[in-house]
Amino acid sequence: MTGFWAVYRREMLSLWVTPLAWLLLFSFLLLQGISFYIVIDHYAHFTSLTIDQGPTQSYFSSLFIPLSLLLICPALSMGLFAEERRSGTIEALLTAPVSGGAVVHAKYLAALSTYLLLWLPTLLYVIIVRKVVEIDWPVVGASYLGLLLVGAAYLAIGILMSALSKSQLVALMLTTLALFGLFILGIGERVFEPGLLHDICAHVSLVSQLEDFSRGVIDLRRLVFDASVAILCLFLTRRVVDSWRWG
Amino acid sequence: MTEPPHTPAPLIEVQHLRRSYGSVVAVRDVSFSIGRGEVVGFLGPNGAGKSTTLRMLVGYLGPSSGHVRVNGFDVVEQPLEARQAIGYMAETAPLYPEMRVLEYLTFRARLKRLPPRELGKHVDQAVQKASVGSVARALIGTLSRGYRQRVALADALLGNPPLLILDEPTAGLDPNQIHSVRSVIRELGAEHTVLLSTHILSEVESTCSRALVIDRGALVAQGPIGELRRQLGGQRAVVTLQDSRQRALSLVLAAEHVLGVTTVAPSSSLVPPRPGDTELVSSGFTGIARHSSPPPSIPPYGEDRVVSFLVTFAPEEDGVVCLERLVTRLVGADVRVREARLRETSLEEVFRQLTGALDVS
Repeated sequence: MTGFWAVYRREMLSLWVTPLAWLLLFSFLLLQGISFYIVIDHYAHFTSLTIDQGPTQSYFSSLFIPLSLLLICPALSMGLFAEERRSGTIEALLTAPVSGGAVVHAKYLAALSTYLLLWLPTLLYVIIVRKVVEIDWPVVGASYLGLLLVGAAYLAIGILMSALSKSQLVALMLTTLALFGLFILGIGERVFEPGLLHDICAHVSLVSQLEDFSRGVIDLRRLVFDASVAILCLFLTRRVVDSWRWG
Repeated sequence: MTEPPHTPAPLIEVQHLRRSYGSVVAVRDVSFSIGRGEVVGFLGPNGAGKSTTLRMLVGYLGPSSGHVRVNGFDVVEQPLEARQAIGYMAETAPLYPEMRVLEYLTFRARLKRLPPRELGKHVDQAVQKASVGSVARALIGTLSRGYRQRVALADALLGNPPLLILDEPTAGLDPNQIHSVRSVIRELGAEHTVLLSTHILSEVESTCSRALVIDRGALVAQGPIGELRRQLGGQRAVVTLQDSRQRALSLVLAAEHVLGVTTVAPSSSLVPPRPGDTELVSSGFTGIARHSSPPPSIPPYGEDRVVSFLVTFAPEEDGVVCLERLVTRLVGADVRVREARLRETSLEEVFRQLTGALDVS
């Protein structure tokens, strides 16, 4: 396990000593700030119109969230393997007495931790809202759980794409395409007539998932879907990393 | 070839190693073993399969077939145990530019499972041995190529692994840096087993006790350097003649025990030299002489020219006797012999013969 933590610490250091994480933090918080401002502004004017939905719920189901996920997940994961392969450091890493699996998981965990760190400041919004209205903590908890799950799935897609490409830019674009594809597929829920296609789209839909979790509904199917995506992608990433030895 | 004294279990044991990339075979049926305490040079021209072989030794690439055992562990079956015994420096000395030297070495020490309490001690030792103390706090991205190379060397030294595998450790360095890296390697040879790849022969001559020569994926020779030189280089002599070039050449080629002839630039004391005088005329090792067009730059000297030949004699014959017979023959044929001296074969010539660079195509 020492190898795992060594890789994890190095990834965290690399992410945070370079401008990338800070740049992402800045743009992410800018988007979230705008989102939060819109929500607050909305409730300041039309409190009576939306009785069934509180400000925290609106915030956690806002379209700004898919937008910012599409921005930060590919950027967080793009360098994990692509940059190491481009610069050749992967050779030093994979010839150290550490298993390919430990390397994949450590890098993934580092990206996921950074993702959670980006979300951390948004707790302030909840604290601010708390001064005005009663906070439904289970709803807030469910919302953050939903974001963790989505992030876990998306970053796993990202790490797979990063392992598949030798250029960060290609990894970024592949991941963005994949996530955007999933997002569009989810929109299909609102487009197709009820039926198989509709069900598939509903299952994948990020928007519906965020709505569910922001209402405090922890749907096991969502959990299973996100976890499956994450586990499958991590498994494939390990296979890809192993395949370099034989390619 | 005499085997160097081995301890019962060699540190590296390579059997019938083969590696192909698609339809291209990069390494074919390579077998060798290296005992503890040896400093071995792994020689070959660029693209001969040196890096591919070394990468299979350290487990970065899997062999298409064959086995590698390092310190008794199969690198495919027990990769972590095998890698634990190796300090590896990859060809490009890849490092993370955003890290500081000490940060990087501490990271590597952790990665190599050195005991947490002794991390500092191990890092200090490696820093000292590779003499990177002066840049310990510098960002790797700001270091010069020479220092990066040394940081990579310090990384390989972490934890005092019994085996060091260095892939072209002096590539891209200036002469001073090359000198200092070589002296570090020589010092390391006292404590570690070193396998060092290079295409620079003086490096092997100055640091290694034994060499493996690889060409186009196959091991073409191995043995102590002096022996390689003797056995494979044959005896060589330089003769400088004043005659028509074609006649001189045919006389020399017709002499006894002459395996091959190469035209070289006459030494400056005999004729003012001009650049680009060297030209290959015949294959030294196959014994088949193939003539090429006459050299353009040998200056006229009266009616005849001054020409120098590097003559390779059959290795089993005494070089002095061969040269004597050759000179007698030339003088007998009325050729003016201006110089005749035996020459020790350099490793470079051995290398060029082995790796086919002396074939004229």
